Amino acid sequence: MAGLTAAVRLAEAGLRVVTVAKGLGSLRLAPATVDILGYAPGRVDSPASALPGFVAAHPHHPYAAITPGVLADSLRWLAEHVQAYAYVGDASANMLLSTAIGVPRPSAVVPETMAGGDIRSLRSVAIAGLRALKDFHPALAAENLRAAAAADGMAIEARPVMLSPPTDGEADVGTLGFARRFEDAGFRRAFAAELRAALRDEQAVGIPAVLGFDQVRSVWTELQEAIGRPVFEIPTMPPSVPGMRLARALQERLRRAGGRFVLGAEAVGPEIRDGKLAGVRIRAGNRETARLARWVVLATGGLASGGIQVDLGGTATEPALGLPVFGPGPGEPAFLPGYLGEHPMGTVGLRVDGRLRPVGQDGEPVRPNLVAAGAVIGGARPWREKSGDGISLSTGYLAAGTILEDAG
Amino acid sequence: MSDEPAFDFIRDSLDHCVKCTICETACPVANATPLFPGPKYVGPQAERFRTPGSSVDSSLDYCSGCGICSQACPQGVHVAEINSRARATMKQQRRMPLRDHLLSRPSVEGRLATPVAPLANFVLSNRIFRLLAERTLGIHRNAPLPTFAGRTFQRWARRHRPAAGTREVVYFHGCSANYFQPELAEMTVAVLEHNGFRVLVPPQDCCGLPLQSNGIFDTARSYVRRLVGNLAPYARAGNQIVATSTSCGLMLKREAIEILGIEDDDLRVVSEHTYDICEFLADLDAAGQLRTDFTAVPLTVTYHAPCQQQGHGIGKPALDLLGLVPELKVIELDRACCGIAGTYGIKREKYDIAMKVGQPLFDDITSSAADLSVCDSETCRWQITHATGQQSVHPVEVLHRAYGLG
Amino acid sequence: MTSAAISSAQAAGQPARPGRADGRIDCEVLVIGGGSTGAGVARDAAMRGFSTVLVERADMATGTTGRFHGLLHSGGRYVVKDPKAAEECIGENIILRRIADDTIEDTGGLFVTTPIDDPGYADKFIQGCKATGIEVQEIGVGEALRREPRLNPRISRALVVPDATVDAWKMVWSCVRSARQYGATVLPYHEVISVIRDGSRVAGAVVRGPDGELRIRAEVVINAAGAWAGKIAAMAGCEVNVRPGKGIMVATNHRLVNTVVNRCEMPADGDILVPIRTVSVIGTTDTLVDDPDDWPITRQEIDEMLTAGENLVPGFRESRTLRVWGGVRPLFQDSGPAETRDVTRAHAVLDHRARDGVEAFLTITGGKFCTYRLMAQDAVDAACGVLGTSRPCRTADEALPDSGEQRFYRIGSRLAGRERTLHDEQLICECELVRRGALEDAMARRGAASLDDIRRALRLGMGPCQGGFCTYRATGILHQQTNLSAVAANRALLEFLQERWKGVHPLLHGDQLRQAWLDDWIFQGVLDVEHLPLADQERARV
Repeated sequence: MAGLTAAVRLAEAGLRVVTVAKGLGSLRLAPATVDILGYAPGRVDSPASALPGFVAAHPHHPYAAITPGVLADSLRWLAEHVQAYAYVGDASANMLLSTAIGVPRPSAVVPETMAGGDIRSLRSVAIAGLRALKDFHPALAAENLRAAAAADGMAIEARPVMLSPPTDGEADVGTLGFARRFEDAGFRRAFAAELRAALRDEQAVGIPAVLGFDQVRSVWTELQEAIGRPVFEIPTMPPSVPGMRLARALQERLRRAGGRFVLGAEAVGPEIRDGKLAGVRIRAGNRETARLARWVVLATGGLASGGIQVDLGGTATEPALGLPVFGPGPGEPAFLPGYLGEHPMGTVGLRVDGRLRPVGQDGEPVRPNLVAAGAVIGGARPWREKSGDGISLSTGYLAAGTILEDAG
Repeated sequence: MSDEPAFDFIRDSLDHCVKCTICETACPVANATPLFPGPKYVGPQAERFRTPGSSVDSSLDYCSGCGICSQACPQGVHVAEINSRARATMKQQRRMPLRDHLLSRPSVEGRLATPVAPLANFVLSNRIFRLLAERTLGIHRNAPLPTFAGRTFQRWARRHRPAAGTREVVYFHGCSANYFQPELAEMTVAVLEHNGFRVLVPPQDCCGLPLQSNGIFDTARSYVRRLVGNLAPYARAGNQIVATSTSCGLMLKREAIEILGIEDDDLRVVSEHTYDICEFLADLDAAGQLRTDFTAVPLTVTYHAPCQQQGHGIGKPALDLLGLVPELKVIELDRACCGIAGTYGIKREKYDIAMKVGQPLFDDITSSAADLSVCDSETCRWQITHATGQQSVHPVEVLHRAYGLG
Repeated sequence: MTSAAISSAQAAGQPARPGRADGRIDCEVLVIGGGSTGAGVARDAAMRGFSTVLVERADMATGTTGRFHGLLHSGGRYVVKDPKAAEECIGENIILRRIADDTIEDTGGLFVTTPIDDPGYADKFIQGCKATGIEVQEIGVGEALRREPRLNPRISRALVVPDATVDAWKMVWSCVRSARQYGATVLPYHEVISVIRDGSRVAGAVVRGPDGELRIRAEVVINAAGAWAGKIAAMAGCEVNVRPGKGIMVATNHRLVNTVVNRCEMPADGDILVPIRTVSVIGTTDTLVDDPDDWPITRQEIDEMLTAGENLVPGFRESRTLRVWGGVRPLFQDSGPAETRDVTRAHAVLDHRARDGVEAFLTITGGKFCTYRLMAQDAVDAACGVLGTSRPCRTADEALPDSGEQRFYRIGSRLAGRERTLHDEQLICECELVRRGALEDAMARRGAASLDDIRRALRLGMGPCQGGFCTYRATGILHQQTNLSAVAANRALLEFLQERWKGVHPLLHGDQLRQAWLDDWIFQGVLDVEHLPLADQERARV
């Protein structure tokens, strides 16, 4: 998300942009909700209100570089750049949306197909599963949702419903397989009929997020009309269809803006000429070449993406450009014995200045023409905080902003 | 010199797999048919259950070998290469169909058929023969097969007086240009000469790619050795080697090492000096050394980057080159695969899958209302023309026209 | 049931079942301990017609048996140091191959002289094998490297022996099934809280299980509690000096070798690399600890094992390691030498009447997994003595359920099997190719609320993603299949994640760290398991 956001913004501003990617990014795995801040550590109702205090308590957090204005601009930017459907919500209030296991999760900006699942405004829902989809268990989700909402002082009826729409006899259809099927009118008719027959007087229906790719808006609208009540998508484990919608949207925008995408090439080091960062050394196939550029955006991701790596001895490195990494060193405790503990290694990553330029131990930018965005920046615990996409989007947006300022 | 590397870095790359499913989202075959369980499954996942010489999952055969999974994998798992090797093992455990032997030796067929090209072409296009071939050999009756040119590029090259150039470059033309489309190779020479190169065409034969993709590894290896034996002296002398068959170029750049596991100094030096022709010309342009005396070509063309071209990991240099041609409108298509995947889509049991895989691309081409399709791989061009009726050319052919050389 | 009733039931061809009523069970033989030894004893006793009960405090085979590398010794390891143990090993190896082939993979074994080994040992090894009846064949180094390309190319000698690998959980459960077929009652999750004494006689035990307490009266109690045998013996007023010898092991993500590889040297730490199912395991260490339930795994031990692996397979240190775990061996010492590796691996049946003046109480201790059947035989023979009857052992003659047709496990079998179910059935654990049907069957059989029990049965979550993708799926199925409440299902999920984390975090780096982070994204980012509802407002402090 961070890399694509920066690339698209720069390309649309008229710069020549080349995006080099070792592989396709993790956006395809992401739920594609934009979570700004969900827990700090208590549950956050309003990210906009909570952020200043949060940043004050976490001065090395990536949000320290993000002003409310930049955050709002980046959210608006995203909404404008996704054609498939609208993104709704803003930083002022978190919705509470059920996860696939029934936990109400705070999320600020979400696709319109998910927003109807905000339990703050629901009394009774049906949670519909698809028999051939092993990644969604409506009975467990419904029971958990009831219990969790009750613990929160909200009374919600949640009833699980299991549907068996036609799958040509395939018992193991994944999210992608269903998303494709939902783009077929015959399948949709059969599904809607079965769902309609299974419903009682529930206000709304939650279903796993598989309502098509590019056609999601019409699929969703048609389904709601067919059953006469709102339908909300619930994000799933990878592969994530909403993530793919977002990835395709941004990739398409990059292409249209003339940006180039080089897939299957790995950044292996900085290209230094006359003591300055002149580009990046890239390895593809059996050759290493230099890609020259005036500015470089590093958005290779964090520990999950390999943008930051830790070796057997416990030393953390940033393999693409060899930048200084901040985090526990060799011999220092990295992980706690409790699975859900706050592991010291969790915040490992680069440190950046207010313009997102990576800094060294002295706090000074390593290169004036280098910015970083996304999970490669340390200081955050994105999944505990529920801040991952908010960080990626806003830092990607700002990284481009920094370069556009320099470009004049 | 062993044929299997002591440290099997391809199999060991399965360790990088974190089951993220990104490869599955990108695989054009898995997304077109449930017969193929997907790259994550047949690659790093199933590999943990295989032992040397034993590959028990036949669904693996539906892998088209397009290589998109390896490109898409952000962790660096050599998915396609793991699949290729497992498939070769599996095929060796069973009887190899005659069809696969036939389809993997275009140079042999080329040599035999060129003197009798009109007859050969008649037979290959004859409905009855094709029905028979489908029933007996398993080559789908509608599969796009090339036509023999009746002459070879090599013969032309032997007779051609090379222009005096300031620099030399070696041309690896491949079987397709030699037997099916020598005019493409002639145009390539012309374009290079126009840019001041003296084009060397050493004796050369098939790179073995079709043998490799059909799992006939030992013969493939001998083909590779023979070819790099011819090309290595030039590479050692510092010459660059350009290829217009993007898939054959990839074979020398990477696949012969990764899939066939050949450890060979000749191969290593050749692979380091091999360039896709568009890569080569775009690099020249980036260095300010490409002649840009193009005349206008007022056409609208679509450009499809074949999976094999994407496998080079160089982006789409053809786009940059086409962008230099005045008045040429280029529509960049964004579809993964045309489906043919070399010899995959020719096979009876895979033809329908291949056509389904390529359908989005075909639809894009048809709805674009462009004048021409541009694509770097010959097999893809045949598939595109077969499916859409649209003529399809290599980017070099456009440059040739724009330079006014034809 | 009285002996008379049991005998007549036997005569009528019916298995002798323990009588059960109202929190009380009466039987002839009570076995304490559900490892390989206990399961073997239960099977043997039941086959001999004794009404038998087995109790185990946790799931079967969660002690030493469930925590080793799965090597079924040829005995080669002991030929020089402990020839008696070696003879026992090869004898039992041959028997187990016959009666338990379904649980065994015939990998074969190699003993190789690595650069750090005594070059003279190989000849002693060969002599020792010949003397103890272990088939041994020397092959050239080139041939060894051809068979195992990842082997250290600097080995100087290579010897082939009939090592094999075994799924210990499967072996134990097969014994349990056999025992149940012969009328035994087998009770996992029933912990002994006291031993019942009638004067100088042990008369049974009181256990606490999921449904409350049970009094089990028996005519003889066999203490097969392994590393915990001392604790059980103490409850009976007896002394058994079992010292827990901890050993740790590290598993790699995939099989680096397909043959068991041993250093051709006197037994030492980390001298075996075992290809067990889809992984390779390097082991092991040997450190005395005080409490078999509480001991650390140190960074240093992990490093030692990685170095040991590197010695056998260059590049081992760079290889992706999945997890580290340990087990404690029951080292029985009557006298007390300092170094645990010197304590005999031979087993012993202790008759506490002679030793402690306590009757009807036997302890079977020491030994190795591969001799469990023989240990059980000796224990039940001794029990016969206590019961005043003589019945022959038939465990070597009858195959375990699913075995007996010389069909060894093959690594490709799940993959080949999946080809048949590609379209009809869901794959729940993709890493280890576990089908939904297998999962549902296991859950129905066990009625378990623990995903870890299911893991042991099917290898759920034992592959590269360590439960990342399958845990949620399995929990959903468990919730439905066993009518669990959501809160209990949530607990099962969190406990499983904690159990997986336990073995992963001590050496988490490189590819596995990447994996763990992706898994975290799924659990905390997508599912938000940290905020799952739990019983009594219990926060998820696992």
